[in-house]
Amino acid sequence: MKITLVKKILADGSPCAKCADVQEKLESSGQIRQIDETLIADERDSDSPGMQLARELDVSRAPFFVVEKDDGSRDVYTVYLKFVKEVLGQQNSAADEAREILENSNDLDFL
Amino acid sequence: MAVDTIATVDVDKKLQAESPQAVLEYALSQFDDIAISFSGAEDVVLIDMAHRIRPDIQVFSLDTGRLHPETYRFIDRVRNHYQIDIDVLFPDAAAVNKLVREKGLFSFYQDNHQECCSIRKVMPLKQKLLTLDAWVTGQRRDQSPNTRAHLPVIQDDRAFSRPGDTLTKFNPLANWSSAQVWDYIRSNGVPYNDLHDRGFISIGCEPCTRPLGPNQHEREGRWWWEEATKKECGLHQANLDSK
Repeated sequence: MKITLVKKILADGSPCAKCADVQEKLESSGQIRQIDETLIADERDSDSPGMQLARELDVSRAPFFVVEKDDGSRDVYTVYLKFVKEVLGQQNSAADEAREILENSNDLDFL
Repeated sequence: MAVDTIATVDVDKKLQAESPQAVLEYALSQFDDIAISFSGAEDVVLIDMAHRIRPDIQVFSLDTGRLHPETYRFIDRVRNHYQIDIDVLFPDAAAVNKLVREKGLFSFYQDNHQECCSIRKVMPLKQKLLTLDAWVTGQRRDQSPNTRAHLPVIQDDRAFSRPGDTLTKFNPLANWSSAQVWDYIRSNGVPYNDLHDRGFISIGCEPCTRPLGPNQHEREGRWWWEEATKKECGLHQANLDSK
């Protein structure tokens, strides 16, 4: 299994806040050791590796994780807490996970 | 049957030009475990359309416990009109109890609505979607030109999918305007929420919904005390589309 983290750099050159938050959580928990590769999706460069991967996998937000399994299939995670629960085995509260989902897709509250 | 990611993107390109009815035809032909998410507002048109294709269409509705009485009555009216079961979903009692005990019943006016919506809507929605292979929403692009500008007709829903599985989300009304929705409602005698006759456009929970005046966008009728949410985590579509 290979895990790739894709982080975003904004058009002004700064890192996106959510990406920085996720990076900090991965580092403080030690889970960063399980990330095999980190790619940058640079808004200023549509050919940056992260942007290419986002296009290839039809991902429209960052950060996101790609888990490549031994059989070559790939799972994409756009919700950090879903990723750490399903891939890294971390226990999360349902409320925290729901909150992250909503923050990632703020139109859900219109349902 | 699941549609893989690549196919979803390709299918979206084709379905973008199709009518909502054709999108629903496609969705219902591809999936058995599929349900419509019904908010108790004008997305009732989806039920009307789907009911003509599959009379026993699955429908669910999120009862946050804070809806208008008119909305509860409307949900029941729709149930009777179409003779369908509507799976009314409730929030986890312990989670609501904890929120209310710690922050009161109107915490969303002090901080924001995210925590309350997460507990009252997203948690039960997540539980429901774990039982489905596909779901249908009434989301439209014109509801929010900023955040829904690139709303696909079909998409791979990675937020709510089961572990190691796919969940497909359909937005058949993505390319319809509010006017088209209301033309359909009037032309087909579709029942609608009485609140619409009193100036409500987008209808959600009672404390977070208000009627609007002329020329106000429907988003102004929801969470009006909050600043417009900044979206910085979306990858610029222009860049993604450039290849």
